[in-house]
Formats: sequence, structure tokens, C-alpha cells
Amino acid sequence: MSAANVLRSLANVTRKEILQTLRDKRLVFILVLAPIMQLVLLGYAVNLDVDHIPTVVCDQDQTVASRRLVRAIFAGDTFDERDEVMDPNAAQAELESGDASIAIVVPRDYEKRLAHGETPQVQILVDATDAARSQVAAQDATELVESLRAGTALAIPITPRVLYNPELKTPIYMVPGILATLLLAVTTVVTAMGLARERETGTLEQILVTPIRPSVLLTGKVLPYLFFGLIDVLAILVLGNVLFHVPIHGSLGVVFLGAMLYVFSTLGIGILIATLSDSQQQAMLGAFGFVLPAMLLSGFLTPIASMPSWLQPVTVVIPMRHFIEIMRRCLLKGATLSDLAPQLGALAAIGFSILSASIALFRRRLQ
Amino acid sequence: MSGSLRRTKAIAHKEVLHMIRDARVLYLALGLPVIMLLLFGYGISMDVDHIPIAVVDQDHTEASRRLVEKLVAGENFVVVARRDSADETTPLLRRGTVTAVVVIPAHYQRDLARHDPTSAQLLVDGSDSIVASIALGDAVGSLETLTPAAPEPPPLIARFNPAMRSAYNFVPGVIAVILAMVSSLLTGLTVAREWERGSMEQLFATPVRRSEIILGKLIPYAVLGMLQTLLIVTLGSWLFDVPIRGSLALLFGASALFLCAMLGIGLAVSVITKSQLVSVQVALLVTMLPTTLLSGFMFPIANMPWILRVLSSLLPGRYYMTALRGVFLKGNGVDVLAPQLVALAVFSALVLGLGIAKFKRRLS
Repeated sequence: MSAANVLRSLANVTRKEILQTLRDKRLVFILVLAPIMQLVLLGYAVNLDVDHIPTVVCDQDQTVASRRLVRAIFAGDTFDERDEVMDPNAAQAELESGDASIAIVVPRDYEKRLAHGETPQVQILVDATDAARSQVAAQDATELVESLRAGTALAIPITPRVLYNPELKTPIYMVPGILATLLLAVTTVVTAMGLARERETGTLEQILVTPIRPSVLLTGKVLPYLFFGLIDVLAILVLGNVLFHVPIHGSLGVVFLGAMLYVFSTLGIGILIATLSDSQQQAMLGAFGFVLPAMLLSGFLTPIASMPSWLQPVTVVIPMRHFIEIMRRCLLKGATLSDLAPQLGALAAIGFSILSASIALFRRRLQ
Repeated sequence: MSGSLRRTKAIAHKEVLHMIRDARVLYLALGLPVIMLLLFGYGISMDVDHIPIAVVDQDHTEASRRLVEKLVAGENFVVVARRDSADETTPLLRRGTVTAVVVIPAHYQRDLARHDPTSAQLLVDGSDSIVASIALGDAVGSLETLTPAAPEPPPLIARFNPAMRSAYNFVPGVIAVILAMVSSLLTGLTVAREWERGSMEQLFATPVRRSEIILGKLIPYAVLGMLQTLLIVTLGSWLFDVPIRGSLALLFGASALFLCAMLGIGLAVSVITKSQLVSVQVALLVTMLPTTLLSGFMFPIANMPWILRVLSSLLPGRYYMTALRGVFLKGNGVDVLAPQLVALAVFSALVLGLGIAKFKRRLS
């Protein structure tokens, strides 16, 4: 077959695939609208700031000093007053029922002991079922109580300044990761199941008796998803910027180069999973068997630096990790093509090896 | 009645045969929760040591060296670069070679001695806000000893999880996420597959009743879901010492109610979409995503905007999560968890009812 013929049949397969996708309105919804909805949901739901903690106060002292402490606690955004009780046991009960997450018990002799220069025993009880958050909340409460006792805040001989995301806003940090996750769901899960469906119904074999080569067929089948994936990237960048003020400091060229390389690798994984599965059920579970661990290991929610040292090298083969690094650095820090060369190179290498392996395996499975 | 029971059993038997013949589905369904638990338990955490920093020391005195020594003493920070000006560290930050930069101004020691206002500066890369906040906390913490002695902190009591272990949070969370995902997706797939292949019409031609088809299809997946729960509970208490302070019966009762809700969603979605590919994506949107995001497992509901709080109160994941934490860690009984159980039961009845009604209408 000549090169022109190959290109023509590739164009034909792609056209057929796009037409078929566009005809099924539900699929268009899944590929384009669902990711946008999810971004909005995630952007607003995912909040790692520890604030608005439902708090119950038990002020047994009821003096000027104790009321000043209570006012100080609720002055900021960290603690929200849920209830005020007189009995410490009632405060405990609210922790147990989950109505409050933190209880602050001011003892009866608070003012008296303060006046005598002694240390009043203010008690802070936290619901530690969510360990990470309760730690931060407890620390905040402790510092507040302490600063009132000492009279002033503690002086620290260093002034911190946060760059790139000065207020440490969660959406700005999260949107690049969300983008990577959504692309993974759209490209890997949809291709894996789509191809598995064709094998289930036998339409793949029918096309293969035509003179179209398997590699051309496969490429034509996944190209539309690359196209839909890039539309999603564009939509999420715009929405992220408008709704969550995620900046775009770097060049869009680098962003899209990264996105393209990333989608190549996730499509390759989709093909690989479809090739290894006999049914859509298997393909679906297989896709999730990859997506969920990949999400946890990608540095999306927790830093890679905090994983055990034997696990950190494993994350190098996960395309999401490199894509998230590219997005965070390019969008937030304005990193250039040369700054990101290692990550882009890694993505290209992963994408190329997975795609060629899956095409080879696909061929063998068909014969 | 005995005939109905027999027919339901026959459908369930067929479904079990499908499952066993397709053993890979079983392996994946039972392997996925184990992998998730191990990753949560041994893989990911929020503690970061050895944060790479650059030092810009423009003072070169005893005081400035002592400041840097204090910073790296706890092994929280490692100095990987030294530069002469803050500008020269920008490429390091941008490329991610360092996470923070300490800038000590000239005359730092002199100003300190004279009690003139002076301060070293810590520039932190905020693009990874988790690492950034850890770095900030660590820096302030390790320098605290440079200031006059801090008073003794007030007593702190961490209820339900005194050692503040993250396993106490993620084990219940993994149960909820896995149940939400696997059961709704698998039932959705098995029902949609019958439509796709046209075998549903064949089933209707037999004397089996609709309700018997539904029951027969759902029961094996309900059993699978309970097995997953048992697996995670066992592993959680064996590997991570997560206590079960309440009653096991209540734990499995709440799980059964939540499972009914998830199976009902899977059924309704597959009857409406009739396509495996579409039903998976829709089920994902209405079960796994909200259970991960809106249940309070990872992100507290109190922090969400009101519209998401309303949304989360309409979905079962939140009630299940509260019930799980209550039974595991707080030893709550039926008296405390009654509202959650009722909410789960109502939701299950609604979605199962919707699924069955849609299923019947599809036929006529």
C-alpha cells in the first residue's frame, strides 16, 4: 500500500469514528461536557484549607477573660461556633455525634489563674477521625490559646513569602491535577471499553478483512479521542482561569505539547487494556485498576517526596506524574520548554513505548 | 412462591457462572481494594522530609550560619544550592530544583545585636501548596528555639484517634469508595450487556418475572460487595490496627443499605442508557465521584459552598461515611446513627424503585 493510500484509509477510519461518536449524543456528553462539570464540582469541593471547623465551646468561667478567649477563637475563619454548652459532658457528646469536630473547655478558674500568673488548664478536644485535618485544627487552637496567655504572638526571626500561589489556594494547586485525572478517565476508560465493545460485537474482525492495516485502523480509532482530549484541555484551562483564577504564566504551546504527549500515552494504555480484555466488564475494571493507583501515585493529592524511597522511582513510569509537573510548572511558574525538557522527554518515551507495545500486542491477538 | 424462588435462584446461578467463568473480573474486584489499602497505608502520606532549599547568605556571619544550621538540624531541610542573590535562585525554583530559598540580608547579625528590625526571608514555592505549607510549618517550628522559651502548651486531647493515625480515616473511606464504584459499575454493566446482546428480550420470553430477573442479577453483586467489605475490614484491622469500637452487625447492616443504594443506581442507569460504555461513565459520575469528593472522606463538607453541601446531603455517600466512622472509631450505636440509617434506607428504596419502574416500562 502506498503512503497516500495509508493516509486515505486513516482519514476514512477517523471520519467514520468521529461521525459515530458525534451521532451518539450521550458519548459527546461524556467526552466533553462531563469533564467540564467535574472540574467545576472538583474545584469547589476539593478544599484542603482547614477552616470553618464546627466548634463547641464550654465556658465554665463566664468571666471577662474567658469571654475574650472565646471571642478570639471565633474571630477568624478557622472555627465556626456550632454551639455553646455549660457541661463538659455535653461538649463530649457533640463530638461523639459528629455535630462538632472540636471542643474547647474553659475551666472555672480561668480568669483567676491568669490574674495570678498561673497557667489555666484550657482543654482542647478534637475529633481525630480525620487525622491530618484535626492535627492542623488542634495546632491552630493551641496557638490561639497560647498567644492570649502570653499576651502577644510569638516572634519568629524569619519572614515567609509564598511564591506562585501566595495564598496557597487549593484550586490553583489542584486544577492541573484535575485536568490530568479527567483526561485519563476520558481517554483510557473510553478507548479501553470502546475497543472491547467492538471485539465483543465482532465488528473489529469485520473491518480487518478489508485491506486496512491493523495499525492504521487502531490509529484512526484513537485519533478522535486525542481531538476530544485537547478540546477538554482548552475548556478546562479557560474555566480554571475564569472560575478559580488559575494563572497561565507559561506558553500555551508547551501546555498543548505536553497534553498531546500525555494523551498519546493514556490512549496507548487504553488500547493495551482493551487488547488484554475479553469483555467490556474486564476492560472497565482493568482501566480502573490502572487509573486509581496511578492517581494516588501521581502526586495529585499527596506529594511524591513524601512517599517511601522504594516507591518514588515507581512513579517515574506513570505518565500522570510528568503531566502534572508540566502543568503546574508551566501554568503557575511560567517554566519554559527547556525547563520542562526532562518531563516532556519522559512523556514522549512512555507514550511511544506503550503505543508500540499495545499495537504489536493487538496485531498478535488478532492473528 | 417456591417457583418464584427457584426462578430467581436460576438467574442468580447464571450470573454467578458468568462471574466465575470471567475470573479476571473477580480478581480485579477483590484485588483493587487491597491495592488501594496498601497504597494508602504504605504509599502516600503528607509528611515531607529533606525539602531541598537554596541559601542566599549575604551576611556571612556567625548569626547567619546559625540560622541555616537550625533550619537543617531537624532533617526537614537540605541545602542543595548556595547563591549570592535572590534573583539567581529564580531558575532553581522554576525548575523545581529547590522548594524554598532562605535569604539572609547583609548586616543581619549587626541589626540583631542592636535590636534593629531585621529578618531573614523564606521564599517558598507555592505551586505545590501541600509541600509549601509543610515547609512553612517546619521552618517556623525549627526556628522557634531561637526565640525566648515558649510557655508550655495547653493540654490537647485527640478523641477517637489519640495517635492521629491516618489509617483511621482511610480504611472507612476505602470501603465506601470501593463499594460505590465496583457494585454500581458491575451491575450497570451486567444489565446493559443483556440489552446490547439482545438476550434481555429472550429472557422476557421465558416465564421468569421482571422482579425475579432483577433480584437474580443483583444478589450475586450484593454478595460480592459484602465480601469486599469483609476483606477491607479484616485487612484494615489486621494490617493497620484500625479498631472496631461499635458493633460489627451495625457495620454490615449499614454497608448492606449502602450497597442496595449503589446497586439500585447501577440498575437504574443501565436500564435508562442500555449501553455498557455510557452506563459506566454515568454511574461513575453519580456514585464514585460524589462518594470520594462529597462524603467528607477527603474533604470536609463544612468547607464546601452551600450548593455542594445540599448536593452531598442528597447523596448516600455522606451518610454511609458518617456511619462507618461512627461504628469504627466512636463506638456509636443504632441510637446515634439512626438518622444516617434511615437516610440510607430511604435513598435505597427510591433508586431501587426507580430502577424497577423503569425496567418494567422499558418492556411495554
